[in-house]
Amino acid sequence: MHTTFYLRRLHSLCGLLVLGFFIIEHMITNSVAMAGPEIFNQVMGMVEEIPKPVFYAIEIGMYAIPILFHGIYGIYIALQAKNNPERFGYIRNWNFTLQRWTAWYLVVFLIWHVGYLRIYIKGITGTPMSFELLQNMFQNPIVTILYVLGMWAAIFHFCNGITTFCMTWGITKGPRSQNVISAISMMMCAGLCVLTVAFMASYFVY
Amino acid sequence: MAKDMSKKKIAIVGGGISGLLATIKVCELGGEVDLFSYCPVKRSHSLCAQGGINACMDTKGEHDSIYEHFDDTVYGGDFLADQIAVKGMVEAAPKLIKMFDRMGVPFTRTPEGVLDLRNFGGQKHKRTCFAGSTTGQQILYALDEQVRRWEVKGSVNKYEFWEFIKIIKNKEGICRGLVAQNMNTMEIRAFTADTVILATGGPGQVFGRCTASTICNGSAVSAVYQQGAEIANPEFIQIHPTAIPGSDKNRLMSEACRGEGGRVWVYKDGKPWYFLEEMYPAYGNLVPRDVASRAIYKVCVHMGLGINGENRVYLDLSHIDSGYLERKLGGILEMYSEFVGQDPRKVPMEIFPSVHYSMGGIWVDRVHNTNIPGLMASGECDYQYHGANRLGANSLLSAAYSGTVSGPEAMKWAKTGNKGSDLTDAELEAARREVQNEYDKILTMNGSENAHKLHHEMGDLMYKYVAIERDNNGLDTCLVELKKLLKRWNDIGITDHSTVANQEAMFVRQLRNMILYAMAITKGARMRDESRGAHAKIVLENGKQKHDKDGELVFMGRDDEHFMKVTIVNYDPKTEEPVISYRDFDHSLIKPRARNYAVAKKE
Amino acid sequence: MPDKVRFIIERQDGPNEKPYTQEFDVDYRPGLNVVAALMEIQKNPVTVDGKKVAPVTWECNCLEKVCGACMMVINGKARQACCALVDEIKQPIHLAPARTFPVIRDLLIDRSVMFESLKKIQGWVELDGSWDVKDAPIQNPYTAQTAYEISHCMTCGCCLEACPNVGPQSDFIGPAPTVQAYLFNLHPLGKFDAPKRLNALMEKGGITSCGNSQNCVEVCPKSIKLTTYLAQLNRDVNKQALRNMFNF
Ligand SMILES: Cc1cc2nc3c(=O)[nH]c(=O)nc-3n(C[C@H](O)[C@H](O)[C@H](O)COP(=O)(O)OP(=O)(O)OC[C@H]3O[C@@H](n4cnc5c(N)ncnc54)[C@H](O)[C@@H]3O)c2cc1C
Ligand code: HEM
Ligand code: SF4
Ligand code: SF4
Ligand code: FES
Repeated sequence: MHTTFYLRRLHSLCGLLVLGFFIIEHMITNSVAMAGPEIFNQVMGMVEEIPKPVFYAIEIGMYAIPILFHGIYGIYIALQAKNNPERFGYIRNWNFTLQRWTAWYLVVFLIWHVGYLRIYIKGITGTPMSFELLQNMFQNPIVTILYVLGMWAAIFHFCNGITTFCMTWGITKGPRSQNVISAISMMMCAGLCVLTVAFMASYFVY
Repeated sequence: MAKDMSKKKIAIVGGGISGLLATIKVCELGGEVDLFSYCPVKRSHSLCAQGGINACMDTKGEHDSIYEHFDDTVYGGDFLADQIAVKGMVEAAPKLIKMFDRMGVPFTRTPEGVLDLRNFGGQKHKRTCFAGSTTGQQILYALDEQVRRWEVKGSVNKYEFWEFIKIIKNKEGICRGLVAQNMNTMEIRAFTADTVILATGGPGQVFGRCTASTICNGSAVSAVYQQGAEIANPEFIQIHPTAIPGSDKNRLMSEACRGEGGRVWVYKDGKPWYFLEEMYPAYGNLVPRDVASRAIYKVCVHMGLGINGENRVYLDLSHIDSGYLERKLGGILEMYSEFVGQDPRKVPMEIFPSVHYSMGGIWVDRVHNTNIPGLMASGECDYQYHGANRLGANSLLSAAYSGTVSGPEAMKWAKTGNKGSDLTDAELEAARREVQNEYDKILTMNGSENAHKLHHEMGDLMYKYVAIERDNNGLDTCLVELKKLLKRWNDIGITDHSTVANQEAMFVRQLRNMILYAMAITKGARMRDESRGAHAKIVLENGKQKHDKDGELVFMGRDDEHFMKVTIVNYDPKTEEPVISYRDFDHSLIKPRARNYAVAKKE
Repeated sequence: MPDKVRFIIERQDGPNEKPYTQEFDVDYRPGLNVVAALMEIQKNPVTVDGKKVAPVTWECNCLEKVCGACMMVINGKARQACCALVDEIKQPIHLAPARTFPVIRDLLIDRSVMFESLKKIQGWVELDGSWDVKDAPIQNPYTAQTAYEISHCMTCGCCLEACPNVGPQSDFIGPAPTVQAYLFNLHPLGKFDAPKRLNALMEKGGITSCGNSQNCVEVCPKSIKLTTYLAQLNRDVNKQALRNMFNF
């Protein structure tokens, strides 16, 4: 009964709360890079301290499953849209379209990002995360660009998601409140995008 | 699912307010309805009605009474309406409004939450219930919703985008079915029915440009007229005084504009002249439509005082508070801005009279039977209730009320009527075949005329001779010209030979019906040698229009002795011409008195 | 002002035929709208190359922007043709059918799906009968005003044509029918069945298929605040879901 309804609502909750937490957490840990390699590596080391069963439980329960669910169901949702910003070029429609485009990019990016760093490097080769490893990786400008784009996409997707979440849950009803939330989340989007550039830059500064 | 064979089947043609209410009534009585319409019924013409619907609700402390409504209607109709029928309608009116309210029509309300009322032409009390400026739309939608509910329950089969072509009679001459054509696939099919109700609305398109929808062509009425149904009072065509003239359509500016305080004026000697207020001090701008139309016509055509010499006068709302206007008239004012590009809250609108409504239509008795057994008519396509002139906001009422009468009556006939023999498959096929042949013939027409151009010409003719002012010379000319048009119809050339949604071929068929209807209107007007309500005829002297010593046109007076009768038009299949006779009707309740809106109505 | 107006019309001879375009010139006059222009083409269906063709097929009734019939795509945007004044749009004027819906012929489309959706959301007040009962309930005039606004929806389908989530690729019933559910939930008698309508909206293709692009509210010719009511309905279905889950 009403399976679609509950799946959709779960997709939305999952996107905002779980993945939202994930991206904020990611932003914070990554920002540590700005403090320099030592501190960054120290923090990475702290993560390693977490007992493995707890760590895996968090990774799978809090990250992997929600991302897989949100991602796969998200693809299904995105496939139901025929994007039409060229005909109806309103801001919200552009955002709607970008929400889908960023989603597609995120699918590819996350497979690459998680597959390479988490599964291959850390999981298979057993190399721990470190400032130097990432610095090395970003020697390739294409990788850097794709990473910055990946972060931007995730940030936009998340921030615009806040606006749409508030509509989906009937939190913002009229155009005024919707615009306020939209403005706030877009400012946040801009802030986080700048932050991304800042911590990405640290790999070239140090 | 096997159909319940004992269920009575009523075919209803037309999904306006009248057809839909009849449908609901039939369903409630356990019948099954085949509902035919040119368009999804939700798009029927009834939704154009802006102003409101009359009913004595008396919520404004004005001591309005049902009798007053009755008297206003009869008086406004210049004593040509069947008074028993009118009495039934005005008595039912408040109940209908309450029912609409329960159905969810969002009527405009007072701060207390009860129904608000407004003024309308020809009545001294506030009696018009309204839903903003889209009353017809709101009522139609509420009925559409109820019918959809019956559709879900399986009592209604909708045939939308099907054109009614003609009825089928059995051996005894009783109507037992109809032929219709799918307007998209062009399939022609014969349907059986225990009773057929026509609720096909008005014939505005006979005049080319009018305030009605493009589908209000009177074609269905003309079709049954050619099959023996009598048309009554067709010469009474209401001209609405305030419409925005346009080449595709004259868009109505609701009478509500005047009801809410709008004033009509032109410049005279450099100063605004509020001619309605001056000519008719008692009613002022709220005189009935025929009176207002003739006054505007006179001011423009005979006195040459129209705006910039054109046929237009001002309808002015700019002195009224714009917040109030927005609340009361928002929608129609928006329409004016949208189609004209000027803001009526700031500048006066420019308007001119336009053909609007047909008081006449298929002759019916008080329970809406036509003279063909098994065929009924209700709504604007019948002639009942309005006499020689309809009061504003009375026709939504008559459309609704007539539906509540025709529906149950159709069921009664279906159950107990003497329906004669059932149609055989062969008879059905023969009827279908006939229509198919006619249609196939139209597809092969390859003359030089364009049907739409002919239609335009017919409209010009009708406006010229059979509109606001008529005289017998003009009417004679018009009849001759219409006959010529009928001939030229044969010389139409079809450019569209498609088997999908061939609108041109369908229009050609409708056009012929329209021409024949136009002839009935014109002949009715020609034979009625008096002025009454919307029918105003100029006296001829030595073959010329007569003027009095002030140079004013002299109109015939009302002639109760000879013409307090219903015009009956029969079709003569041999000559294709209308044959006029007259029939008495019931006017026993209110004694006729002169209709004069210069002074307040006296009882 | 040019004395001719050029129309570039996307035509199609039948439901399964290939679309093609034809160009027509129509004499300019002040106040000319797209329907009036199409009527002129009817009177003289000749393309700019002088070819005599079948007149263009389209749907219209009221010519006053109330019946909803004449919706088509004009210069890329879904709108009513009868109130599209030539003066106010870019020329040459491109006309195309709204392909969110099946095309019957030329600009004529089949919108029956919208009426079917109105059945799904149970868009009516459950009246016992059309007879006289007693006084209808008094209504809050402000609520009645909201109802009046929503009740203007003329099922034109502009919002469905603009909505990126409506189309053959999706089963979304679209903004118009969804919002209509709210209309009946506002009515003092219609309210009684609000849970039924909300449950209907929770079905597949219901309100959750909206992705908040808000095109609908931008294009609605009746200026219905669709997204506001969508948000309100979102709130209502959430509450209904809780009620369903916890049975209160
Ligand atoms: C602009 C305007 C404003 C008005 N304002 C008011 C007002 O404020 N108050 C008031 O009381 N009255 C008003 N009227 C008059 C009123 O709207 C109509 O008289 C009334 O709505 C007629 O309703 P109906 O049910 O008889 O027919 P309609 O609503 O005209 O319906 C006719 C139906 O018949 C169908 N049909 C017709 N021919 C065929 C055919 N051959 N085959 C199949 N189907 C067919 C059509 O599809 C349609 O469904 C106004 C009229 C106009 C033109
Ligand atoms: C794996 C790739 C992803 C895909 C395919 C994807 C897809 C989508 C889609 C299609 C939507 C729109 C849903 C709707 O309109 O109802 C959406 C919404 C959302 N997504 Fe994602 N997404 C992905 C990753 C992410 C990530 C990483 C985050 C967190 C940062 C995220 C957060 C959100 C949020 C908050 C919403 C808004 C939910 C709502 O409107 O209710 N998504 N996603
Ligand atoms: S807000 Fe929802 S319903 Fe409106 S156009 Fe966007 S997706 Fe469609
Ligand atoms: S909501 Fe607006 S755009 Fe959508 S169908 Fe109704 S009137 Fe048309
Ligand atoms: S013809 Fe009715 S909305 Fe355009």
